[in-house]
Amino acid sequence: MKIVIAGAGSVGRYMAEQLSSTGNQVTLIDSDASAVSRINVPGVTTAVGDACEIDTLAKAGLADADVVAAVTGDDEDNLVISLLAKQEFAVPRVVARVNNPNNEWMFNEMWGVDVSVSTPHLLTAMVEEAVSVGSLVRIMKFEHGKAQLAEVTLAAESPAVNSRIADLGLPRETTIVAIMRDGHVVAPQADTPLHQGDEVVVLMTGDCEAEVQRILIGAPSS
Amino acid sequence: MSVFRRRKGDSPIVEEISYPSIASLAPRAQTAVRGRVVRIVKQPAQGLPTLLVRIEDESGYATAVWSGRRSIGGLYLGRKVVIEGVPMASPTGLRFFNPAYTLLP
Repeated sequence: MKIVIAGAGSVGRYMAEQLSSTGNQVTLIDSDASAVSRINVPGVTTAVGDACEIDTLAKAGLADADVVAAVTGDDEDNLVISLLAKQEFAVPRVVARVNNPNNEWMFNEMWGVDVSVSTPHLLTAMVEEAVSVGSLVRIMKFEHGKAQLAEVTLAAESPAVNSRIADLGLPRETTIVAIMRDGHVVAPQADTPLHQGDEVVVLMTGDCEAEVQRILIGAPSS
Repeated sequence: MSVFRRRKGDSPIVEEISYPSIASLAPRAQTAVRGRVVRIVKQPAQGLPTLLVRIEDESGYATAVWSGRRSIGGLYLGRKVVIEGVPMASPTGLRFFNPAYTLLP
């Protein structure tokens, strides 16, 4: 795949190295020539210039890029790059980094963003996950928030403990993606029983959240 | 936004120009097409302000999406327009995102 990364900070450089090592054709853009030159991976093409300018983006080859990742440390820049990538180059997938979580609401299709990634948000989710047994932890959102990946660690009093997945009566737009049990990944089958302490990873649409909560966690305790 | 769209400082579009047929368009190439507005889709008040307009010529149709606005003055059903931008492929045919537009008489 042809991937263009805007922003050669630690995030951008790391992504360029990783994506290049998995056989992708990567171009890295930054206005700072020294930041760009710090990357020493043979496969990565670099472009020096302001990624908020159409000319720079054209030179970096956005016209036939499959993915653009706007990962500068500046939310305004990331939004402008996303909008230009979508509007001027019709890039199929635009990924943008959210630096300040207060700006996250702007990272949507209006600005050409297909997927936004917010580090503070992820950190919060991870902390919640670490401290919570028996509550629903939202890990990641897809499709502009319509679908989400969530995780529940089953407490002893969960109504789902000792029942088979097929018997749970999960809503139609919900699927159990995986079960983590004693450090192993269990591929969920219809007759897989759930145990106390299982980490159940669920993919669902937002409307199903209350129902999933009722099935896996139980009625909210009064 | 117009500074982004008129990137070559080109002269205003005039109707005498012959435009490619919509069916002949390729995704991801800068282009201008002429058609008639056959559908306008508005978003609910609490949704993101977006205007979706389908234009059609004898060969087919394409969709133009404008974000951040709910209407464009003078753009109504049956109106002839020229749409200029870079179309992307979508499940419902080619789609222009924030294209430049010219209302034709």
